[in-house]
Amino acid sequence: MDYAKSIVDRAMRSGCDEAVAQAFYYRTSYLKIANSKVDSIVTKDEAGGSLFVSRGKRVFSTNIDGLTDATIAAVVRNAKTSVAKLTPKDDYYGIADGPFKYGAPESIDKELSGYDNALLSDIAYAAINSALSTGADNVAGTLIISRSRGTTATSKRVHGLEDSVYARLSLRAFVKGFSAQNVTAAKRLKDLKPEALGKSTTELAGMAASHGQIKSGTYDVIYLQQPAGLLFSMVNEMACVGSVETGGFLAGKLGKDIANKKLTIYDDGASNRIISAGRFDAEGYPTRKTPLVSDGKLLTYLHNNSTATKYKTKSTGNAGLVLPEPNALVLEHKNSSGSLDRLVSCVDKGILVTNTWYTRFSNYLSGDFSTVPRDVAIYIEKGEPKFAIKQVDVGSATGIRISENIFRMLKNTVRSANDTIQTGSWDSDGYFVTPSVLVTGVRVTTA
Amino acid sequence: MSIQERADIAEYAVAFADKLGFDYCDAFVEGVTGRSYAVEQGKLNGSSYYEKAGIRIRLVKGRRLLTFSTNKFEKAAIASIISGYRGFNGVDTVFSGEKAQRAKYKVGERKRLADADVLADLLSLDKTLAKRKYIKFRSVYAGVGKSDTFFVNSDGSRIESSLPSAQAFASIIVGGGKETRQRSMQFGGIGGYELLDPEKLEEKVLDEAKALLNVIENGMRLSQHELRDVRNVVIAPEISGIAVHESIGHPSEADRVFLREAAQAGTSYLTKDNLGLEIGSPVVTIMDDPTIPNSNGFYLYDDDGVKAGPRTLVRDGVQDELLMNRAYAHFLGKKSNASSRSDYYSNEPLVRMANTYLKPGNATLDELISEACDGVYIKSFMEWNIDDTRSFSRYQGSEAYVIKNHRLGKPVKNYQLETKTIDFWHAVRLVSNEFELFLGNCGKGEPMQGVPVAMGGASALLSFGR
Repeated sequence: MDYAKSIVDRAMRSGCDEAVAQAFYYRTSYLKIANSKVDSIVTKDEAGGSLFVSRGKRVFSTNIDGLTDATIAAVVRNAKTSVAKLTPKDDYYGIADGPFKYGAPESIDKELSGYDNALLSDIAYAAINSALSTGADNVAGTLIISRSRGTTATSKRVHGLEDSVYARLSLRAFVKGFSAQNVTAAKRLKDLKPEALGKSTTELAGMAASHGQIKSGTYDVIYLQQPAGLLFSMVNEMACVGSVETGGFLAGKLGKDIANKKLTIYDDGASNRIISAGRFDAEGYPTRKTPLVSDGKLLTYLHNNSTATKYKTKSTGNAGLVLPEPNALVLEHKNSSGSLDRLVSCVDKGILVTNTWYTRFSNYLSGDFSTVPRDVAIYIEKGEPKFAIKQVDVGSATGIRISENIFRMLKNTVRSANDTIQTGSWDSDGYFVTPSVLVTGVRVTTA
Repeated sequence: MSIQERADIAEYAVAFADKLGFDYCDAFVEGVTGRSYAVEQGKLNGSSYYEKAGIRIRLVKGRRLLTFSTNKFEKAAIASIISGYRGFNGVDTVFSGEKAQRAKYKVGERKRLADADVLADLLSLDKTLAKRKYIKFRSVYAGVGKSDTFFVNSDGSRIESSLPSAQAFASIIVGGGKETRQRSMQFGGIGGYELLDPEKLEEKVLDEAKALLNVIENGMRLSQHELRDVRNVVIAPEISGIAVHESIGHPSEADRVFLREAAQAGTSYLTKDNLGLEIGSPVVTIMDDPTIPNSNGFYLYDDDGVKAGPRTLVRDGVQDELLMNRAYAHFLGKKSNASSRSDYYSNEPLVRMANTYLKPGNATLDELISEACDGVYIKSFMEWNIDDTRSFSRYQGSEAYVIKNHRLGKPVKNYQLETKTIDFWHAVRLVSNEFELFLGNCGKGEPMQGVPVAMGGASALLSFGR
């Protein structure tokens, strides 16, 4: 049964001006790795959906718990009465007018979609054993495999089907008091490569032969792909017009110079290689790869149909159920030094940061924030890695903190390596396609 | 489907698993309903309603823990899940022996959530804020809802709860000239709409806005030399709260200490080898108590079915209890202290905090400031962070004042308290007799689970480099 269309039809019959419905089924398993073993497996199995309606510029959204006739009827009844009680949203301009053509859906990998606990366990131990044989003292992580099917229908002639499966493996390796964490994800089992992740993560954690201390001050910082993704994806998040209107750092910056001229930032919801990409957004508008920053300038904000109409532009395919949401970050830099080693050789006094977390803003409008290197950080002097930074003698802590301003960071991103990969982080739901980047003049404080 | 019908299915699941010879089984049923509104810059940007229910089943056989959740309340599907259990080569999980509990509890609503005109109150708050030209950006959000749960396990526990909740958030950016300052606030707890008194909310947000404006208009920047010379710092309950949560509560979670959470929310400076560490001065006692009425982290029984009570994390400066679920209690040869919580039926319960606070002493705030003589008083924060082991933290003063000659002076714009955990808590010289809790949502696990918590307690005088 086409639940999404049925829900939309019911909502429209109840008197709504517009309706968007999604119906989905998913099965997702989370395998936890702790102390170099499989710790536990959690499996979620759920069917449900969502409904967005508008009536007289009043907008309302709700979930649908279970796809039964009775549930759907109750949800539509509730939506009808609830939307009538709201105040109008004067700047609401409606959902996207379809129909739209979407590309052919990707085929689903049968090996992944038919996964069971044995496959989960095999993948996990492939990564664990690889890390241990490379020299890890301890390994932790999460393996997620998710299979989902969903349909989206709207009252504006949109109907789309998304069918997906992916695996995402996050691994943290501890080596002699230092740690590193990496994430790999794939839509096909053969592309996941858990052994390679185990090996590379362990090698990163153990890359320094010695450790030492630095002083608080200004350093040039190389962010590996994961921290680069975490930090630069804040641009995508804050480019969503909802963030702009409520005091995000890109408010009033459209068309202005905000970044290094050689830095390009995209918001990509469409590329097949990106795990989170889909063919259409939450209102069925085709997703795309949107240039956000090019030649130093902020080119656009991210829109759904309603906000695009308000700002007299076109949707960027970023509709969430209510407000625009970011897709994946894609970062490119025209000034590539070549390998990571070559990028390191460009640094006179600096730090190689392999991971960050707890990025917090003191002021979203000014763009002032700080972030904490979570895993091993390497001090670089005269183009050579010198030692792993160890300001506190506790576990794998580095004991340094980075204090930045988003615009200073964007302007001072002067080079990249040619090591672009797709990655993610525990600290973010999103995915990033980025090389390692060099940011000059970064303020660092130490414990 | 009623909670009783769902409870019957939970009972069926446990009985079925028992029949199949599982070492342990529990089933947790949750039904949640709620509605929320977001008003931003005068516009109703979001209005939503949710109603969801599901069941989580945990099974242990041969010391292997598997967890399943579904929103399909069908006996046949649940029987199939349980029969289809397949173990794995991995970590041993054994639950501590605990007394079987039979309980039914609920929190009342002095002002019924169902009757509350939440949207009208938000719009009114927005309108009031809009009249203040110095408030450049404003976002207010409120959500009210209820969670009904039923827990049954193969040890004979049966626990039913009904917890209403009311939550509001406000975020403002105050500007004067070229300078802006931002503040986010959270209100409410477990209970009825009385927890979101519109007049009190308005007063609080306006007070905060005025305080930020005062910092902008009258605040001073300390030079690097002056910042280095700050030896005495008085922290208000909001700062005590974030510090106890981040640098004491999290590292006291047993799953961090023993590295189960190492790839997600991180590790701890506590290890199996340094339990009982002298973490602070003798005036420091830090508690975590889920049973505080109407608090944001309120519960009486945890998700393992264990009866909750206050936990002493630090007693007179010395690390005392770890936060434990039944698995870690067994591992440590102890009884659980009821720290097992999930944010929702579909996620696994993890070791979590509830309401964490610095236990009050006998001094007044004035005495702390007078005793400080010269220094800085930090009343609130905006930016904060801490490292993976919880050893090195920073709290950026949002509203802070110079203390000069035993009195509060001008606001300070650029004070950051950035210290090692061990130095922070050893610097505590005097603790006030105040007690105030602040709300938070605490993230952990993968998938990320945000559970409601509170943090705070007393003010404290910290003297560094004595």
